[in-house]
Amino acid sequence: MTSASPRDVTALPEAIALDRPRAGRRSLTWLVPPAVFAVILGAWETAVRALEVKAYLLPPPSAVARALLEEPGRFAVAAAVSLEAALGGLAIATLTAFALAAVMAHSRPLERALYPPALLLKVTPIVAVYPLLTIWFGFGMWPKMLVVALITFFPTLVNALVGLRSVNQSALDFLHALHASRSQVFWRLRVPSSLPYLFAALRISVPLALIGAVVAEFLSGASGMGQVILIANGDFDTAVLFGAVFVLGALGVSLTALVSYLERRVLDWHESSRGV
Amino acid sequence: MTTSAPPAIRVDGLIHLYGAAAGDVLALDGVDLRIRAGEFVALVGPSGCGKTTLLRAVAGLLKPAAGTVTVFGGSAQAAQAAHTLGLVTQEPGLLPWRSVEANVRLSLEITGAAADVPALLERVGIARFARHRPGELSGGMRQRVALARALAHGPRLLLMDEPFGALDELSREAIRLELALLWERERPAVLFVTHAVREAVLLSDRVVVMSGSPGRIVEEIAVDLPRPRAEAIDSTPPFIALVDRVRTALRADARAPAPAAPGRT
Repeated sequence: MTSASPRDVTALPEAIALDRPRAGRRSLTWLVPPAVFAVILGAWETAVRALEVKAYLLPPPSAVARALLEEPGRFAVAAAVSLEAALGGLAIATLTAFALAAVMAHSRPLERALYPPALLLKVTPIVAVYPLLTIWFGFGMWPKMLVVALITFFPTLVNALVGLRSVNQSALDFLHALHASRSQVFWRLRVPSSLPYLFAALRISVPLALIGAVVAEFLSGASGMGQVILIANGDFDTAVLFGAVFVLGALGVSLTALVSYLERRVLDWHESSRGV
Repeated sequence: MTTSAPPAIRVDGLIHLYGAAAGDVLALDGVDLRIRAGEFVALVGPSGCGKTTLLRAVAGLLKPAAGTVTVFGGSAQAAQAAHTLGLVTQEPGLLPWRSVEANVRLSLEITGAAADVPALLERVGIARFARHRPGELSGGMRQRVALARALAHGPRLLLMDEPFGALDELSREAIRLELALLWERERPAVLFVTHAVREAVLLSDRVVVMSGSPGRIVEEIAVDLPRPRAEAIDSTPPFIALVDRVRTALRADARAPAPAAPGRT
């Protein structure tokens, strides 16, 4: 059967046709990342045990799992707090950046006027701004969301601006020949055209948002995964530290997967979502 | 000619330049053109002779350096506002996120006109693709969608810029036939820009020949062939004679000495 030519295979019954190399490879690909992950964890566990590494330097995965299972509520609450800051800040940044991009896309002078302050926001180290934010907004959710918003604002602005400008010239000509208004052109042509760029921006800004939330929590020490890490660090509790890292990693992967899913649903018309 | 109704297009002394002052390229150099209401005029000429520039000026998409454009007696902008124009370009510029039907409805959304979209899709031969996205269609089918979209709001002037230029010969023949039928039915005035001499003669009432660098109109040839025309007409002696006349006009222009300035289509 292995020597069957492709044309022969298509003529064979379904069960045998599934043996085709392409179909076989596709059905197994999703197994590869978890398998690699399991191999790494296994090697880690055996190495730590065999070499008798001290637990405060490198805990075995089993100890990390125990730390996670001992206080699942603590991790869940902290993760929820960090997630709220990340998503809230991301929403603020995405909405304001898109609104500003819409203004800039309509006027070159406004673009020239608004770009330098936006760039200044980008190059300023957010850590330096944080004390100001706590003076103005205290230690609650707001300063954290603002840190996230400041970090994610610029990539969204640049992508949205490019997206709103990258419209099909023939479609634009057609609309102009029909005397379409600015708002008709904006909602019917510019906004949909910008969506692929907006999703590209989200792919960049979602991981940045998590970084921003954790950094803000480091600085405030008030709540969230940043606080969990801060406390565990003081206690030399490396198992909890690793647990926090895994939780944050899982959050990042889930959010990115969510963005990918939404992108496939929303952009099913776009080249990027079409198979080879 | 303008005693009763104003012509669909009246262009007088149109001049247009591209580029910065020093290296200006004269795209149009004193072009005059009249197209009657309901007349089908083909505009042929070499690449870069200013055909597209002329069409864009008539569509109100560019402001000429000098000269006047009137469309049904008013400005090109007034024609836009009155929803008199329909535009079809070589790259159809369909909205890829909309279905075929929704793309055609775009014209109605913008103009507020009403039309029987399913019937229109039927007439251009794309009814069975109504729910497909443009990305799922062939080039010829996409151009049919663009044609339906341009006609949906009932324009009195159809501006077509090499609409079939990117299509293979078989698709071209089929869509040409659809266009001829649609034109017979609706009778809009048409300005049809093309490279293809046979296509120009087959479709039009009159062929206007342009020369390039700078863009000028060198000859106008009336096509007095009976209508409706079938593709088979292209082997008849009158047809061949007309094609020869247009080719001769184009060649005469190519032999004439021209200033060495690159043009733009």
